[in-house]
Amino acid sequence: MRTVYTMGVALLSGLSLLFAVGIIYGEATDQWFLGGGSVGALLIAYSFIVLLLRKMGMTGPRKTER
Amino acid sequence: MSTVVERQTPGRYARLMTTLLRETLRLDVWVNRLYPTDFNPLYYTGGLSNLFLFTLVLSGIFLFFYYDASLGEAFASVQYITDRVPYGGIVRGVHRYAADGFIVAILLHLLRNWFTDRHLFARDNPWISGMFLLLFGGFIGFTGYQLVWDERALTRLFIGGLGISDGTLVRILFLHIGPATALYAFLWWHYVRLRHPKIWPPGVWVLFCVGLVFLLAGVVPMTRETIPAAAPAAHPTSFPMDVFFLIPFWLLNFLPAGVVVLLLVALFVGGLAIPYASRRETPVEMGVRHSGVAQVIDGNCTGCELCYYDCPYNAIVMVPSPGHRSLLAVVIESRCVECGICIGACPFEALELPKFLERDVLRQVAEALRPGSGQAVRA
Amino acid sequence: MTQVPKVIGFICDWSVDLKPLSDGGRLRELPNVRVVQVPCSGFVRPDWLEEALNRGADGVFVTGCPYGDCLNREGNFLMRDRIDQLQRRLQRRKVDTARIGMLAFGLHDGAAFLAEVKAFVDRIAVLPPAQPARTAGRPAVAQPAGTPEGERT
Ligand code: SF4
Ligand code: SF4
Repeated sequence: MRTVYTMGVALLSGLSLLFAVGIIYGEATDQWFLGGGSVGALLIAYSFIVLLLRKMGMTGPRKTER
Repeated sequence: MSTVVERQTPGRYARLMTTLLRETLRLDVWVNRLYPTDFNPLYYTGGLSNLFLFTLVLSGIFLFFYYDASLGEAFASVQYITDRVPYGGIVRGVHRYAADGFIVAILLHLLRNWFTDRHLFARDNPWISGMFLLLFGGFIGFTGYQLVWDERALTRLFIGGLGISDGTLVRILFLHIGPATALYAFLWWHYVRLRHPKIWPPGVWVLFCVGLVFLLAGVVPMTRETIPAAAPAAHPTSFPMDVFFLIPFWLLNFLPAGVVVLLLVALFVGGLAIPYASRRETPVEMGVRHSGVAQVIDGNCTGCELCYYDCPYNAIVMVPSPGHRSLLAVVIESRCVECGICIGACPFEALELPKFLERDVLRQVAEALRPGSGQAVRA
Repeated sequence: MTQVPKVIGFICDWSVDLKPLSDGGRLRELPNVRVVQVPCSGFVRPDWLEEALNRGADGVFVTGCPYGDCLNREGNFLMRDRIDQLQRRLQRRKVDTARIGMLAFGLHDGAAFLAEVKAFVDRIAVLPPAQPARTAGRPAVAQPAGTPEGERT
């Protein structure tokens, strides 16, 4: 399971890199909707990364649930 | 929806609500498979609403700088924001989609707290203030659509006919921003009886919701072509209809205006009546959950304030103790929901639920430990 | 250990549905577990848990709703903290922390709840017999370093 999560995090990190490039490209070419949409996609990718990290137990509440 | 339900027999209402409760909690089980419980969005619907409201305020301030509230300029200024201001279209989209998200989150919050009995007894304060929040939220959304001054604004309900002038839009702008400020006053009312209100969703959902709003604003932008400007002669024809704010106007296609207004009033009044009109369980069915308002045994209370910090509904106040120099805990009965959390908090045995005393608990404990009980006995 | 441990569970009335699971105040599948229904997990006073252990219970646990879903908003969070404190306090009296548990299960989690209680009972069953909590006996489990005796909880 852990390898699946790790792969998911890697995949999402790749995607967020793509979206980050999208932000810069949108800004450089004045395509604001592309840039803004990429910001959104980036944040969503981040949210799933955080979820996967939480499921792996690397982030989360102070005390793990019992 | 409420009014329909309440006219039925209490038994049927109770059974319906029990089914809804069970199904709501079953949904939780599924969500909890995917998200750990501290990330479960259904536990943070109120925080999600607050997040969307915050997004709305920030994007609204941005839009306010560019918006021109006059008949000739309103539509043009909105177009200017959309097309010329850097990322203006994005912010406009954020404002619009966050408003939808706000209503979705509010409705989720309302239904969930209704179905899980979190509106009963002394919990009615958040419910009533929440109803006003919903009313104001809907009204703010409605005036927001007027401000764009495109075809959708010509609804003729409030501002149709002869009265339109340059002052109209200024008034509507005030009716958009004024109630939005008032929302925060209502939020104070909403939180005043809650000890630690959960006002912010978990980080995952902050990222997700803000991201979703931005993504939608980028992918489904609002551009000039979609909707033509308002022209006093034109009637609203067919245009993309916002599901959450303009439903009353969609209904106007089928029903006379008076009926629609009556329907809205009935929904609001019915909503206010929900905590009082009917209960899912009779007091007998509630069993130990209905053990009476917590009582302080004055002689034992040392004024340590532990119950005061732990009561989730702010039902305990500390008053100067007569006689001693310390404080004395007092339970305000109209705020107490009979949860008993303060009983667990008090280390000096100074609090009791009248129908479920400490000695009842200890008797059950002693019963369990009597020699010979347990293995063979299956009472 | 042959003897079946006596366990008392304080179970919030709103959390796991006990009707299909219990009979006359005892779990049907684990008759050695006595359940006491309480209005909210936060209702349980840690003193009572201590008292139950003193009177000869082998283990006590409290069950609340899933964290975040307490009917009374924060009863289970508060109870979790109180149980942590109680565990630290009793650990200094050589009571194994495994004897005190906090569980969190919703209305439909009956099966998971039973499994968790079974695991809890099994953990207790392999412990050496409980010393009466007040008398200082041999530590049931080695004290973790860094828990000074006089530390206040
Ligand atoms: S029972 Fe105690 S903790 Fe619960 S609402 Fe009443 S005073 Fe507050
Ligand atoms: S916790 Fe008990 S002793 Fe302390 S203030 Fe409350 S009632 Fe009094």
